Amino acid sequence: MTSTVEPAADVLDSLLHIQPGTHLHAVRHARSKVASATQASHEVFFDPALENNLSLTERLWVAYYAARLTPHGTLTAHYLEQLHGLGADNTVQAAIDSGAIEALGDARLRGILRFTQTLIESPVHGDQAALQALQQEGLGTAEIVVLAQLIAFMSYQVRLAAGLDALLSAGAAR
Amino acid sequence: MSDLIRSHGFTNEALGWKAWLPTVDLSSATDEQVAVLQESHPQALTSDYYLTLAHHPEILRQRSQAFNAIMYAPGGLSRAERELASTVVSRVNRCVYCASVHAQRFEQLAKRNDVISEVFADPATAGTTDREKAIVQFAIDLTLEPSSLSADHIHTLRDQGLDDAQVLDLIHAISIFAWANRLMLNLGEPVFSAP
Repeated sequence: MTSTVEPAADVLDSLLHIQPGTHLHAVRHARSKVASATQASHEVFFDPALENNLSLTERLWVAYYAARLTPHGTLTAHYLEQLHGLGADNTVQAAIDSGAIEALGDARLRGILRFTQTLIESPVHGDQAALQALQQEGLGTAEIVVLAQLIAFMSYQVRLAAGLDALLSAGAAR
Repeated sequence: MSDLIRSHGFTNEALGWKAWLPTVDLSSATDEQVAVLQESHPQALTSDYYLTLAHHPEILRQRSQAFNAIMYAPGGLSRAERELASTVVSRVNRCVYCASVHAQRFEQLAKRNDVISEVFADPATAGTTDREKAIVQFAIDLTLEPSSLSADHIHTLRDQGLDDAQVLDLIHAISIFAWANRLMLNLGEPVFSAP
């Protein structure tokens, strides 16, 4: 795993069209440690070889659902594209899009997405019983920690993206 | 040193925090887990919070690098204003533990806690100056309705004298507490000392 990141590979710069040479690009990369740790976090969370049992497809459904609930259109589309690239199950997308995750046949994924919804919409309600529900679906301690980190990271990424979008639309200060 | 604040379930007293999941046992921790703990926080080796997050050391490493760069880097938005924004986010998300920690940090830096009392009582009306009110309102909006953010939000902050580097520092401080509050709220609970 590498923590060295080429600026051209930065996922928020490329998705939000923050072009090198622009005012906002310079402002953002003046805080280079924040930009690099943000990008490196993204890479770790969506590394196909992340060392736990939460599959890449499960992680991408979490990200898609989190971005959709926020909502942040660009990130939602990005994660859906990644899922399509993996040949992910369209019936899962249909369940998420129609707000019918309780109808999902996969109990483990249902539990993961239920936890995602709680933490995104009302984090104060993610209590000890919510962790026990995940344990009952067979998630181990490290898996639950990774899942909680992923949802919390998504809460960060969507807000950072929304803030950068607003800075972009405000243009350079006069 | 400071006046005790207890308001609406929030406090500036020092609180403990206990994990709901089994924490990493240092006697069987890997070298990487110990290294990441040591670089994350001075008290991480004895903290239930860090010992929970150490179950996945590389994720913790990147989180800590982002957090420390956002909250402690020199220049840009004052550290007190970053702590104010963090306290507002924690109040809005109802993270009692985080609000206590960052209320204390604000007071250490600003040598006052008047605005903290206001934030605990009612974030929507908090702020002792127009600049503080603008920072507080922006923190509320980005926390509760990120999709509502627009150029108008940025213009309001610029009107209060923030340059774009300071606006970005503020966005970072608010966003990282969306992350931090969830870990603190969802993996354990605050511990109040005996009265």
